Amino acid sequence: MNGAQHILKAFHRRDIDTVFGYPGGCIMPLYDALVDDARVEHVLCRHEQACALAADGYARASGKLGVCIATSGPGATNLITGVANAYQDSIPMLVITGQVATGLIGTDAFQETDVLGMTLGIVKHSYLVENTDELPAILEEAMELAQSGRPGPVWIDIPKNILLEEPAAGPDSTLSEPSSAGSPNLDDAAEMLRAARKPLLYSGGGISLAHAEDSFREFAECSGLPAVVTLKGIGNAGKHNPYNLGMLGMHGSRAANRAVDECDLLLVIGARLDDRATGKLEGFAPNARTIHIDTDTAEFNKLRQADLAIRGDLNAILGKLTRTLREAPLTISDWQQQCRTWGTTGGFQAADNEEPLAPITGPSFIRQLSRIAPDDTVIACDVGQHQMWVAQHYQFDRPRHHLTSGGLGTMGFGLPAAIGAQFANRESTVINVTGDGSFMMNAQELATIRRYNLPLKLIIMDNQCLGMVRQQQELFYNNRESHIDLNDNPDFVAMARAFDIPALRIERTDQVRRGIETILAYNGPMLLHVAIAREENVWPVVKPGGSNREMIDETRRFAADKKEKTA
Amino acid sequence: MTTQSKTPSYTINCRMSYEAAALERLCQVVRVRGFRIAKMAVETADGALDIALTVQGARPVAMLQSQLEKLHTVAEVQLATPVTASRIA
Ligand SMILES: Cc1ncc(C[n+]2csc(CCOP(=O)(O)OP(=O)(O)O)c2C)c(N)n1
Ligand SMILES: [Mg+2]
Repeated sequence: MNGAQHILKAFHRRDIDTVFGYPGGCIMPLYDALVDDARVEHVLCRHEQACALAADGYARASGKLGVCIATSGPGATNLITGVANAYQDSIPMLVITGQVATGLIGTDAFQETDVLGMTLGIVKHSYLVENTDELPAILEEAMELAQSGRPGPVWIDIPKNILLEEPAAGPDSTLSEPSSAGSPNLDDAAEMLRAARKPLLYSGGGISLAHAEDSFREFAECSGLPAVVTLKGIGNAGKHNPYNLGMLGMHGSRAANRAVDECDLLLVIGARLDDRATGKLEGFAPNARTIHIDTDTAEFNKLRQADLAIRGDLNAILGKLTRTLREAPLTISDWQQQCRTWGTTGGFQAADNEEPLAPITGPSFIRQLSRIAPDDTVIACDVGQHQMWVAQHYQFDRPRHHLTSGGLGTMGFGLPAAIGAQFANRESTVINVTGDGSFMMNAQELATIRRYNLPLKLIIMDNQCLGMVRQQQELFYNNRESHIDLNDNPDFVAMARAFDIPALRIERTDQVRRGIETILAYNGPMLLHVAIAREENVWPVVKPGGSNREMIDETRRFAADKKEKTA
Repeated sequence: MTTQSKTPSYTINCRMSYEAAALERLCQVVRVRGFRIAKMAVETADGALDIALTVQGARPVAMLQSQLEKLHTVAEVQLATPVTASRIA
């Protein structure tokens, strides 16, 4: 059994049945081995970046390891954006690349690049396999590492000769058992919660990464704590929770930012206090003590000093906290009531368009989509205004139903991520909500959808510009538009049809319902091209680097209110 | 740079496995987390690398320590007592 066959054997052992890749010279031995393998489905994307992003989407939607494969040189460099995306969002991923033969490394050989050196800053760990016998152990260790503790991408660069040679049967893994964090003492946390009059729950992507969705939901419900979520935490608190104030931060709800501003205790769970969420740190939760619970110690005190930091398994911690609070519930009804009131007046309320011939607006379209799409729908977003409208206006009930590029903000993420999600959930409805700019970054993947006949739905919110950049130029650069115009976009409907994917264009409010229902009812992939106004903005917004207290909304009412108060 | 002498400096002892990219990994983390290496001594012992590092940086050194500890090939990071900045300048 050669090195390449060992890789497939390792996949079998771990029940890895779907991988995303693209062949080429140095990785050919692995592709040769795939010919005889009936257990691993290899999905050929049309660009290595899409392979990595599809593996990422697969991992996010399934909670399993995402795997991508490419050749050396350009194959490896093309993977980089996708791997960085997974790194920033702590997605478990195994990356396998071919490398030039051991003897050629360092000779500037054809398609040689220093993959290990180039990727140090975007991997949890990486290996260059230097001799054949190490390969089986490295494979095992890499798969374990990618998924344990705080997950992340692990990259194995394998010279071609090693893929062809036969490793001696050796020990399978050198990875020692992860040291258990023991059972943390939660008495102090419970005491701080009880002492607080205005405690607030702040959760992020760490909840689903730790597979702690259910225990978090139970804790949120049992504690009755008002809750805010980060972009990646959307869905954590549940759409029926009356105290769920939704997303905080730059494009968060006024209710969420207000609650953070006023709370006296912030219970941060599975979140890293990213600047898009906190705004200017000095003004963030100014009156609150902080309890920070996470699997990664390095997150504690990184951006905000915690009064109490607890490292451990989130499921265990949340279970224990739930039991404690069940025995003696918190008495915070005034605060709950206050947050509820903020929620009804300062949530993401967008008026639905009433006028049938009026142009479609982003928020009202997403609200319609949210009402019509089935409960198990997975939405994979791209990056820009449309991404924020999804975050604000789509009612998610599970974090794994919302796939979004949070840390890296990668335009072009949505389509390949949706492909990955569809492979992970073959029966679910998967929708890619994209922008006219983002769509063009991985549009070649229409060919992948067609090839595998994936019943994916694509929605392009077309404002004929790089809307998010245009918005910031308008608001923060004196409306000096610079290189954001896309009015020469291709005909997206014709483009989809060229890939044998049916498509439909809508531009008026009275066409929205029919449009959404048509694509959802269609038995196969379909694209909906939604024309929206170029001038529309995402509201509210906090100026980059500004404090979340200074939200600007459409009428600038909030800013005006503040002026009035201080006058 | 004249600011160097004002920047706090720390000595860190680090043990990591002896592999091809070991030092690159270490240096990358030090740089990206806001520190500069002012002095470095490396020895191999029992298949491991013992590294004594003097770094300078304005950020809390505990943050650097916890990031280094996260490297898979790092076995141990010890922070020696801070040395005075002027000694290196
Ligand atoms: C790969 C990449 N390049 C550039 C950016 C910067 N950027 C953020 S949003 C955005 C505009 C996105 O345009 P579009 O996809 O049309 O979405 P819209 O904002 O118009 O809804 C740009 C250029 C990015 N996030 N990713
Ligand atoms: Mg656009």
